[in-house]
Amino acid sequence: MPQENNSIIDDLLAARACLPLSGLDETEAAEEGGCGVTGFIASVPVSGRHIMEPSFQMHNRGNGKGGGIAAVGLSAVSLGVAQDVLDSHYLIQVALLDPSLRQAVEAEFITPFLDVHSASEVPHLADFREVKGLEIKPPDVMRYFARVKPAELNRFISENKLGAMDVRKAEDEFISQNSFRLNQKYYSSLVDKKAFVLSHGRDIMILKIVGYAEQVAQYYQLEDFKAHGWIAHQRYPTKGRVWHPGGAHPFIGMDEALVHNGDFANYYAITEYLRQFNIQPQFLTDTEVSVQLFDLWNRTFNYPLEYIIEAMAPTSEYDFDQLLPEKQRIYKHIQSTHLPASPDGPWFFIIARNNPYEHYKQLIGITDTSMLRPQVFALQEGEVQIGLICSEKQAVDSTLESLSREDRRFRPVADKYWNARGGSASDGGAFIFTIRDSGKGDGSKKLVCTNKFGDAVNVPAGQKPFNPPADYDAPVSRNAISQAVRSALSAADNTDFMRYFIHGMAKWNYASVIFLCHELTDIGLSDKARSAAIEILTALNDLRYPTGDKKRSSVLQIIRDALHRLFEGTPDFTTGSVSGYRRLDWFGRGDLRAPSGNEKVLLVNARDFPPEGAECDARFIVSAFQLGWRRFICYGYRGQRFTGCGLGKETDGVRIDVYDSSGDYLASGIDGMEIRVHGNAQDQLGQIMKRGKLVVFGDVGQTLMYGAKGGDVFIMGNAAGRPLINAVGRPKMVINGTCLDFLAESFMAGDPLKGGGFVILNGIEFDEEGKVRELNSPYPGSNLFSLASGGAIYIRDPHGQVVGEQLNGGEIVELSQADWDLIRPYLAENERLFGISIENDLLSVKGQQKPFTEVYRKVQPVKTGAPKPPPVKEKACKPA
Amino acid sequence: MNTVQPEKALPEAVETPSRFRNPIGKFVVTRNSRCTGCGLCASLCPHGVHIKPEGYAKPLPPRSERCVGTACEKCEYYCVARCPNKALSVSFNSTLETMGDYRWTPEMLIAHWHMAETGNLPEVDLEYSLGSSGGGFDKMRFRTPVPSEYIKISDEVIDTSLDLNRRGDERPQKTLSLPCYGGGMSFGSTALNVIVGRARAAKRLNTMTCTGEGGYPPEFLPYAEHVITQVATGLFGVREETIQNAPVVEFKYAQGAKPGLGGHLLGDKVTPEVAAMRETVVGSSLFSPFPFHSVYSVEDHKKHLDWIKEINPRALLSIKVSTPSDADMVAVGSYYAGAHIIHFDGSYGGTGAAPDIAKKNIAMPIEYAIPRIHRFLKAEGVREKVCLIASGGIRNAVDAAKAIALGADGVVIGTADLVALDCIRCGKCESGRGCARGIASTDAELGRMISEEYAEQRIVNMYTAWRKQWCEILRQYGLRSTRELVGRSDLLVNMDYLDEAERAKYKPAPQNKLVI
Repeated sequence: MPQENNSIIDDLLAARACLPLSGLDETEAAEEGGCGVTGFIASVPVSGRHIMEPSFQMHNRGNGKGGGIAAVGLSAVSLGVAQDVLDSHYLIQVALLDPSLRQAVEAEFITPFLDVHSASEVPHLADFREVKGLEIKPPDVMRYFARVKPAELNRFISENKLGAMDVRKAEDEFISQNSFRLNQKYYSSLVDKKAFVLSHGRDIMILKIVGYAEQVAQYYQLEDFKAHGWIAHQRYPTKGRVWHPGGAHPFIGMDEALVHNGDFANYYAITEYLRQFNIQPQFLTDTEVSVQLFDLWNRTFNYPLEYIIEAMAPTSEYDFDQLLPEKQRIYKHIQSTHLPASPDGPWFFIIARNNPYEHYKQLIGITDTSMLRPQVFALQEGEVQIGLICSEKQAVDSTLESLSREDRRFRPVADKYWNARGGSASDGGAFIFTIRDSGKGDGSKKLVCTNKFGDAVNVPAGQKPFNPPADYDAPVSRNAISQAVRSALSAADNTDFMRYFIHGMAKWNYASVIFLCHELTDIGLSDKARSAAIEILTALNDLRYPTGDKKRSSVLQIIRDALHRLFEGTPDFTTGSVSGYRRLDWFGRGDLRAPSGNEKVLLVNARDFPPEGAECDARFIVSAFQLGWRRFICYGYRGQRFTGCGLGKETDGVRIDVYDSSGDYLASGIDGMEIRVHGNAQDQLGQIMKRGKLVVFGDVGQTLMYGAKGGDVFIMGNAAGRPLINAVGRPKMVINGTCLDFLAESFMAGDPLKGGGFVILNGIEFDEEGKVRELNSPYPGSNLFSLASGGAIYIRDPHGQVVGEQLNGGEIVELSQADWDLIRPYLAENERLFGISIENDLLSVKGQQKPFTEVYRKVQPVKTGAPKPPPVKEKACKPA
Repeated sequence: MNTVQPEKALPEAVETPSRFRNPIGKFVVTRNSRCTGCGLCASLCPHGVHIKPEGYAKPLPPRSERCVGTACEKCEYYCVARCPNKALSVSFNSTLETMGDYRWTPEMLIAHWHMAETGNLPEVDLEYSLGSSGGGFDKMRFRTPVPSEYIKISDEVIDTSLDLNRRGDERPQKTLSLPCYGGGMSFGSTALNVIVGRARAAKRLNTMTCTGEGGYPPEFLPYAEHVITQVATGLFGVREETIQNAPVVEFKYAQGAKPGLGGHLLGDKVTPEVAAMRETVVGSSLFSPFPFHSVYSVEDHKKHLDWIKEINPRALLSIKVSTPSDADMVAVGSYYAGAHIIHFDGSYGGTGAAPDIAKKNIAMPIEYAIPRIHRFLKAEGVREKVCLIASGGIRNAVDAAKAIALGADGVVIGTADLVALDCIRCGKCESGRGCARGIASTDAELGRMISEEYAEQRIVNMYTAWRKQWCEILRQYGLRSTRELVGRSDLLVNMDYLDEAERAKYKPAPQNKLVI
């Protein structure tokens, strides 16, 4: 059998050798650029308008010079064909940059070879200028549902000796080669590009334009077009003048569409590798060769998906050591054969795929081994299920928000959000959402999320999502809740209320939670009540507690709605009010003035502010600060960046509370102020931070505290990659979860026992009951404290799992009493903020209290033999 | 473009002799014991080699560095011939054989010391515009001017100014009086008085200097409008206020001398003062990573620029990159990301701290990169919107003019500033306590060998001389401003592409053989 497989592979490769030479010079650098990517796949078909909102939100990751959308698992109704035609026929879409060529293209590449079931022009707006901002007319696209003519297929099989191959797979190959020839003739061989194939797989289609991705949906009228899976790409080509969308993403293999964010260093090496298998690029972008690799490993070599991912993002270093021997043996073979083709550099792929042979559709996200591109995965389960993969968390949230507006079965908060690290031994850094028949016999589909190794990613079982309006009715414990809220609003602190809430939460129904929230938000307009209500609802939003049979994501949704109600209920500047709270949004921003009387708290609804630039909300906060405002509550974020930046030095006494999907660079450069992020945070937080306090009630993204000089930082969850890189001075950080890799690389923060900096890594998480539990490993990455010359890591590692192989220039030593005395106050503050107890959670191992020396370990720089600095005769180096 | 600053009057050159005794000259004048002290030589020499103060029995030891040497033989005042006692002799200074290198030849060094001392171009026969490297700018000449092109205008009416904001966005214009500014030199790599002296000179010349990656010493504050804050990959000493201080913020992605290698300050140079400024550990080597860890693609790059713009709403943004093979793409990408200045650092630059293997082998030579980028930006239709700056081995005024003729708007200078402060290009900047001449050192003793005032005036003098040379080049081709010179590669010839007869019309580059 393997012999036979090999001969099929050889025959296939030989068949491709007959293709015309593309004649392109791959030594010419591939077209470069950056981008934003987003995608989702749901157990029910959803309309294209929902890919538009996240695309629009990521405008600042593209520049309007290339946008594309792919859809998989299409609606036969939307396409006007029968379901069996959709399932069995190739859906070929040809972009005609020169519309007059339709006849010529058809006469040469369609009519002679294909039985066309139906041919139509993809509908579009009459005038492209109807789409606001669209400057270049998108191509006319011809859509054919077709099969290869039996006689032609037989000729193809016999000429290429593909008789041993599955006939249908031979037909795939014919279609693929036919598209190559079409592209060769009308695209890659010409200076003036005229036509190319957008997509040709089964039940999958691609459209792309020179513009933004959401404009694709507008122009080709996909707002109401239904499909299970959608991916979109905002392109940021470096080259300025772009007149056709040939270089835009997604790119096709056979039945898959791939979008890519990143840039390879080894583009040429990959083209050389592909050339060995008679595969030639036609579009000169690294995205094209990525999908060519996928197609080669998938359709020619028949690799299972796990091996394809391994070939893309090889497992190496410490991760490789952790694999089982059998897996190591296979991976070693894969790496020795395919390593030259592993994309080198920053990259992140989202692939939408149909497998017509095994009847499933997939959405796949694969990250590079150094985690150099931002990415976030999310999963929501319930009556319908959805998996999402995006460049930024805010794109996940805006997709869900958009969906939930149309279909209440989708909810604005996902059950689970996470990041990945390519080549990791625990999950492989790749996640796959697969939609297949539910087996119920009603044609319904179900979604399963797995990692590279096929392990399922689950959300807590047995919990019901919030289902309005039915869930509005019949709150239990009504009177008791009312009573508790009333006493909480006048109490000195909310400890009693929280105890009551956590106790009650497990047995309440959704209606009770809603009732409780309304009691809090509607109880009065006094500042005291408002302040207490904000504090309580914020705590309910931030902390972990058991939610009984209710989904945590649904409870959060209710609490966040209540918070918004409270915020929106504060007076703006135009209403006369004695309140110390004032609220502003984009439309009322002109009313901003200095605080007068007892005005203390400025609420900023960031929602409609641009994410950057002279008018962004971050600059608005600077203006308010300069007018004298010190206390800010900012909400409604949709990825707006730079919150807290630009206030300058010595901002002690300023506090900003941030709600919703905050953006990159938050708290970068702050010097003295305090910022609290009530939820997950994004990338590049606290860059060059000087002083102050940053608290994140959730996870943070890449390069937290890069180049920081100081500050106290508390992270409730994980910090994705490279936190504290190149940090100096005296930053002090507690990460309660873990970091995927490169923690404290080039850390230079002196001696922590003499005022220098450190990071405490607790390696814990909250379980479904809101209880603290240990992670499988406190630090799974291969690189810890690399090249560090100062500072230290205090790592909670009671089972001694961190090993010397993970270190590069560091050493593991036992904590001294002085170390413990140093970190204990930070753990105490951590306890106060997040409810993570030193005694019961951190120092308790498998229910047993242990001394700190048996729980924490210290990683410090190896003393190098560097010569001592010369004696200093005078203190200052003043000018002569 | 809110305000256009008027062209500022150029500062006065003030004679500033070298802080070392026995300056090095091309020739050595010796006076032997036959001298009777008649004083004839002192009365003859117009160059001031021989000085006999009132009441002295004999002249002072000859000021050899002023001697024009053998060129004097035919003059009737030639001291060697006229000395009644044959007590004088002139010979080539053999020290030159051990000094400098193929790019910075001994004559080029001596000439720059002269410029830094006097503010004038040297009269001594020194080849200071061409080195012996056998390539690059040394293969390039301005074509022989046609006499009819010459316009007779004074230096004062020639415009050598440089606009840094050509985007026409809401940010202010900043116009420098010279088509050049100072490259980044960090506190740590270079003595404090040197970098502050550069800032003082920048203020007087109405140009700029750059902090490099070592923090922003408070000594810069009086000159803040002339100090660029560099944000480099290690982010050492970069804080919000240092970004807010600066009229221009420079992102240093890479250096042409060592692209892909980041920065490295050896432990020896991390003195207590340097460590305090950078908030690091005394005596521990400091690494700047190669890439920005927050920038791995062009949209990250734009975000990074947006961040600085958010912190400082008036700053102009400069992108400093090396010259990779896709330099043209980088330029266009940076423009679209919102940069005002795009600064390409070619491969010839770098002090002793850059490894030789990198300096000589990685980045694209700047003279290849400039025209390629210039043309690409033109084809993209955005050339008029960016200020294109070149650096990396631009040693002298003629190199700078060549870079501009190739397509740059201006240049960035590093090494020449140090040469003005008596650098001898020994290439030992990074070792031990640093520079023996007290330039590239923060050592408690060595780092204080230069005063701010000395550094300031020497640098002012050198650029004053450079400007004279630029004016002369412009006049020769009938140009009235350095702006008109931009992209005039038709004024340049490459010796390799001339036929033999044509080549013979040009002075060959010196063929120094050094004994190093």
